[in-house]
This record gives sequence, C-alpha cells and structure tokens, in this order.
Amino acid sequence: MTTPFTLPPGPQASTGGTPPARATGVVLDADALANLAQLDPTGANRLVRRVLITYRSSMARLLDQLAQARVQPDPASQRLVAHTLKSSSASVGALLLSQLCGEAEKALREGQVDAVPALLDQLVAEAARVDAAVVQLLADE
Amino acid sequence: MSLPHSFDAEDASERPKVLLVDDDDLALMLTAEALRGRGFDITEASSGEQALAMLTEWTPDIIVLDAMMPGLDGFDTCRELRESPGFENMPVLMLTGLDDEVSINRAYQVGATDFFVKSTQWSLLAGRLRHVLRSARTRQELERSKSKLARAQDLARMGSFDWRKPGSGSHHPTGGLTLALEALRVFGYTAQDRVSMRRLVRMVPLPERSGMTRVLAEVQSKNTVLAIDVPVNLPDGRMRIVHVEAEPEFNEHGHGIGYTGIVQDVTDRRVAEDRIRHLANFDALTGLPNRRQLMWRTERALDHARRLGHLAALLLIDLDRFKVINDTLGHAAGDELLVEVARRLRACVRHSDQVMDTALESASGRSHRTLEAVGRLGGDEFVALLPEVADEADAERVSTRILTAMRDPIFVGGQECFVTASVGIAMYPRDGMSVADLIRNSDVAMYSVKDAGRNASAIYSPMLAGHGRKKLELESALHKAIERDELVLHYQPKIDVRSARMVGVEALMRWQRGDVLVPPGDFIQLAEDTGLIVPMSDWLLREAARQVKEWQVNFGFADSIAVNLPNRMFERSDLVEKIHECVSAHGVPHRSIQLEITETGLMKDLQNVIPSLHRLTEIGVEISIDDFGTGYSSLAYLTTLPISELKIDIQFVRDLGITPQSSAVVTAIIALARSLGLRVIAEGVENLRQMEVLHRLGCGVMQGFLFSRALPPDELELWLKQTVLPRKAPWIVQAGADRPEPLGSSGGRRL
Repeated sequence: MTTPFTLPPGPQASTGGTPPARATGVVLDADALANLAQLDPTGANRLVRRVLITYRSSMARLLDQLAQARVQPDPASQRLVAHTLKSSSASVGALLLSQLCGEAEKALREGQVDAVPALLDQLVAEAARVDAAVVQLLADE
Repeated sequence: MSLPHSFDAEDASERPKVLLVDDDDLALMLTAEALRGRGFDITEASSGEQALAMLTEWTPDIIVLDAMMPGLDGFDTCRELRESPGFENMPVLMLTGLDDEVSINRAYQVGATDFFVKSTQWSLLAGRLRHVLRSARTRQELERSKSKLARAQDLARMGSFDWRKPGSGSHHPTGGLTLALEALRVFGYTAQDRVSMRRLVRMVPLPERSGMTRVLAEVQSKNTVLAIDVPVNLPDGRMRIVHVEAEPEFNEHGHGIGYTGIVQDVTDRRVAEDRIRHLANFDALTGLPNRRQLMWRTERALDHARRLGHLAALLLIDLDRFKVINDTLGHAAGDELLVEVARRLRACVRHSDQVMDTALESASGRSHRTLEAVGRLGGDEFVALLPEVADEADAERVSTRILTAMRDPIFVGGQECFVTASVGIAMYPRDGMSVADLIRNSDVAMYSVKDAGRNASAIYSPMLAGHGRKKLELESALHKAIERDELVLHYQPKIDVRSARMVGVEALMRWQRGDVLVPPGDFIQLAEDTGLIVPMSDWLLREAARQVKEWQVNFGFADSIAVNLPNRMFERSDLVEKIHECVSAHGVPHRSIQLEITETGLMKDLQNVIPSLHRLTEIGVEISIDDFGTGYSSLAYLTTLPISELKIDIQFVRDLGITPQSSAVVTAIIALARSLGLRVIAEGVENLRQMEVLHRLGCGVMQGFLFSRALPPDELELWLKQTVLPRKAPWIVQAGADRPEPLGSSGGRRL
C-alpha cells in the first residue's frame, strides 16, 4: 500500500507496493523534510524547528493517550491516536511510523482484534526511534 | 513552492478568510502556514466546539474542517453549522483520508460543499479552496440575480410559465402547466394555489373565451409562436388584460412538446394605448371622429364603393352664424352648443364610434356600414359620411333629417339659441372620385346654400362651382383694385332746402372695374368678409381729405365730406391718428371729415366704439348716425353719446305721405334730435312731396335723387355751377317759395 501522505518526486514514489521506509531503514525522510522547509524558504520563521518541537510534544501526548487507551481498553481512542499520529508523522518524514499508524488504524477500524496489539507495539517502538532522530535533528541545527 | 500563484491575480484585492479547524496541532500549523503563503487569511481552531463558538461573532469566506476530531468531529460540526441561520450556503471543505470512502459520503450527507483528501501537496489544497470559493460566489451571484429577476418581474407584473403537452416527456407524463410565482401573481394567485390550464381559461370572460381557445388550438397545432392579449377576471373581481407570449419547444425528433413563455399584465399599457388611439382619432370636444378619422373612413368607404360599384355620399354641414353665437355668448357657450349639435347629428345617421385604423376584416358583407359616421372637421363644420346610398334622394333624406334635428332651440349660456345649418352634398362617384374632390365639392354646394339664404341643403352641381369661381375671381380682383387705383369716390350733395344751399356731401365708394362701375352692394360685403375693408377704408379717408383740398381751391368748399366706415374701423385704436394724418397731409381742418356709422353697427359694439367717438369729437370730427330708426338704439345711451347728427333712414322717407306711421316716426326722430341738440338729415328724398313733408315736420337738410344722384367730383362741380347757382331746379323754386329770402346773397361764397 502506498502512503497517501507524501507524494514527493523521488525514488521512493516509484517503488510501488514495497514500503520504502521499511526497506531502506530511514527514520526521517529527507524529501519530506525538504518539502517542509520550503514552507519557510528563508528560514526566518524557524518553521522546521517549530514543527519538530510541536511534533515531539504532540507525539508524547498521543503516546500517553495510547497507553491509557490500551489499558482501558478503548479502541476508538486508540484509533484516533493512530489517525492523528499518521498524518503528523508523514508531515515530518517519519514515513515508517506513519505507515505503521495507518496499518493500526485500518486494523482498529476493521476490528482485526488479533493484529492490533502487535501493530501497536511496533508503532510505539518506531515512535521511540523517530523521537530520537528528531532530537538529533534539533540538536544539529 | 513560491508565493505568487496564478489564482492570486483574481483575488489580488482581497485575501479570502479561511477558518481552519483541526485537532492536530502539527497539521494545523502546517496547513495554516502553507495557505498563508498562498494568499489566504487563516484563522485557526483546534476543535469543532471552538470553531462554532468563533462563528457566532465572525463570518469567514470558507471553513475547512478536519473530519476526524475528538469531541465534536468534522461531520457533527458541519451539520450544526448548516442548521444555524446565515450558514446555509457557507462553503465548507471537509478534510478526509483517501482510504476513507465512508467519510467522503458522510461529508456530503452532512452538507459539506466538497471534500479534500489530506496531503502535504499544499498547492492542490489551495487550488481546491479557490475553486470552492469561486463556485460559492457564482452561486451567490446566481441567487442574487434570480431574486433580482423575480423582483423585476414583479414590478413588470410579469412571470414565466411552462406548459407540456400530455405524454410529451418523462418530466411531465400527464402534461401540465407550471407557473412561476411571479406568473401566479399576475393572475392574482399565491404560491399555495394550484392553478391548472382549465382554471386559467375559465378566467377569460365568455365573449372572448372561444376566440382565445381557437387561437390557442391553432398555434398549438402548427407549433407557432404565441402572442396574444387576453382579458381575465381575477379572483378578486378585477378585470385585467394579460399579454401571453410563448415559444414552442421541440424534442430531439422535432416534435412540439410544449411551450415556454411569459405572461404580463398589460392593462395600464392597453388603457394608455386606447386613450392615445382615441385622442388621435376623435375630437376632444364633441367625441366625434376627427378629420383624420373621417378621412380614413371615407377612403375605406370609397374603396368599397369602387369595388362593389355602389354610390356613396358626403354631407358637409356648416352651422349658420355660429360666429355670432360665439362672439355674443362666449366660447364656453359656443362649445356647449357644438356638443349639443354633435349629439343631434349623431342621431341622424347610423353612427359608429368604433376606432378604425386597420383594414376591415372582410371586404364583402356589410362591414363598410360600420364606417358610417358624423365627424367634426373643425370649428362649426361637420361631415356625415354615408358609405352606401341608393341615390341622391337617400342623401337628401339624411340632410332633411339633419335640418329638422336643428329646429328645436338649444339651451346654452342660460338662454335659448336657435341654430340652423347649411348642408352641401357630394355624391360618389359623380361629384368626385377622391376624398379631396368630394370634400371640396360638398363645400361648394354648402356655400351655395349660404348664398341662397342658409338653412337648407344643396347637391353639388358643376354650375355651383362656376359661382364659386366667380366669387374667387372677384376676390382676387378686389385685392388688386386698390393698388390699381380702380376705386373711386362719388359724392351726393346734402341740401339745406330752406336756403337752397349745398351744406356738405356724402362720399360713396365705387369700383371702376374696366368699363363696369361696380356698385357697393356687390363688393362691400366681400371686402368685409375678406378683411380688405381695412385698407379700403384707409384709402377712403385719404381720398376724401384730398378732395376737400381740391374743392377748397376750386370753389371755396368749406363744409365736410361724410364717409361711411364699418364699425370695425371704430374699434381700431389708430383711427384718430389716421384721420389726423390724412387731413394734415392736405392742410385741411379735422372737421372737414365727418364719419357716418350705422345705428346697428354702433349699438352692436357700443362699449368698444365709444372711446373712439369721444376722441374723434375732441379733435373736431363729427359723427353722424346713419340709417337711424332701423336699429334698436338705447335712448339712454343716445343722450350721452358724442354725436352730432341723426340720419333718418331711407325707408321712412320713401313712405312719407303714403303711410301715416312713417310721418309719425319721422316726427318723433326730429323731436328727439331737437331735444338732444342734434342735427337731423333725411336721405333718399326723391320727389317734391317728400321734401315738403319733411320740411313741414321740421327737417330742413336732405339728400336724394330729387337733388342729385352721387356724382364724380368734376360733375358735382358742374352741377353746382349749372343747377344750384342759377337756381334752375324745381326744388329751388319750391324751396324759395317757402323761404322767400334770396339764396345767392348769403350762399354765394359757400358754393
């Protein structure tokens, strides 16, 4: 399945059914980040930085919600977290995370109860990787 | 991606206001940033509840809603929005996921304007926003122009309708009529009323209904354009005229499937048009057809007569002495009289009031009968058009009816008037083939009636035209008489029989036309009618003054020449100046001109004439009243008028010694003159007996054939020398016998 959230021109787009992020092992997609940077071409607004900071706090809040929703259990909340994290992750180039969110959301929507726990575990693990990459990126700037 | 975008040109003046609603801070931040960079004015809200709260006091141009939100999600927010007044047509763009068909369907169900799949392709989102905004604006404009059109149609009392033939299409399986609200209003209905074709047809009054249904059927069977005016009775009882105009509609096979068109209340326009048509064709005073309408009808009548070979007649009716009524009773009374005359005339023919300016429906039949009418040509002139008569007698019967109808007195201006008319008849085709010929010849016939004493009718004949021509010739000759010096004055002496002396002369106008000497009776009336009397009178005064001077030089003439002036001359403000000029030019005194005015003329116009009389008397011009005893003098006025002389009318003198009444009248006039201190003179004295009686009754000054007829100036001088001076005439012996004192001793100088 092709992720709908990033359609930049680039080698990944033409790879078809193979999930590019999972194949390459890239945590944050450079094209997506470049795309982001273009919203603030001069960098005057420090947009990329603001976005990354917002993304981190947003992700922390969402993961928190997810943990609670798994305890409850509250599939609807789990699904909303997956949905929200899916699009914001795509925006910052966390393509694998976004893809995992999409798969979890789909499984939750379709009631594939058996598949959900494994997907959510993968999602949390990838989220930790992404957060580390974002911290690194913020530190590099 | 750079800022200036192709869409921006359109909205350069304004940045569309966007309310962006998303619970995801990051998405909100990115989308807002991207759209700001593309010319939008972004306001952010992080939940549906917050968005609805903001919208209570502020209105954006478009709202972008994230579908998936905790709490009030995008769908609920949109649904609530649509239920709030003012937001029914607000453009709402719903953001969904691509793999989420359910969401897309729900978006439309809750009333979203459009959906957009979330992506980071910001230019696509911006493009979609512009598209939605433009559609919304177009839709708004459409709504606005629709309501404008509705308002305009209401103002124009116009509305559209649609009619489908039964079985003509899938939309109208049973056929039927659809009226727009405005069209319903034209017929006096509201949106709630169910109005069928049958119901509308029933609103048309019966007399017109069959004609209308015939037209409808005809138009429908041929699929032609419909355009008719139909009278309708509205539900509230008002009668209106509705104009219906519609074009046929065809299906793909070219079969007529119905009509689309408009209805309009044209009552006001029709009323105005009818009024204009009436004003253009009818006389405002009498309501009769006017000249234009008469001409039109006569043309049609002649066309018909020509085609079918029958006779027609035109009667020209002129009131007798209408001017006198107008002058004495005033124009208002004159108008009143014309209205009554019109009413009576109308009853004399099969008068038709129909306005006609279009071709008659059928050439045959009796349709030309509706042309028959009495019309007013203008002034006191009327015309009766008889489109078909069997013979002259037919036309004469109508003219007799007209003369009879005038017989009863007419009450106008508070008094009874007796009116007569002169009627001239011209027959088609004998007396003329065209309208103009017939009018002219009926005019000739009418004038022959006037000449013969009025109050009758006459049929045209070429001989009458001859008379008219003679009169015309006379008129144009009279015009030239003055410049050609053809007018001459003859003088009749006034004699004081006691002294057998000439004490003055009366100047009488003659017209030397080639070898013929035309007497005043043959041209004075014409001169009065044509106004030539004014220059003629001017000439008369100049010539009289010149003659005084000539005689003064020749034989010491020191008396006056009396001239007759029509009373209209006395109304002229410059009469005094004119006389002054004439006498001054020849160095003779004012009193050498005496003016005679007839009693009738004087009394007719007393108020206007008196001021002139006073001023004339002041400068020494004496006034003599001619034909005294024939009119109706107010004795009260007579005592105050500045006059010097009464002239006993010829008819009393003629009868003197024959009827005792005449000597009684003469005695009375003489007594009156004496007591008022006026001179008295008798005219028309033809024999010695009359002279004796007059003398005995106390009137010593006379004129008449006994003494002399009116003579050219040189003959008058001769007469004085050969008859008066030698005292050879019989009247001198007689006079001398009465009065033995010798004439020559005192009068020689004066002669």
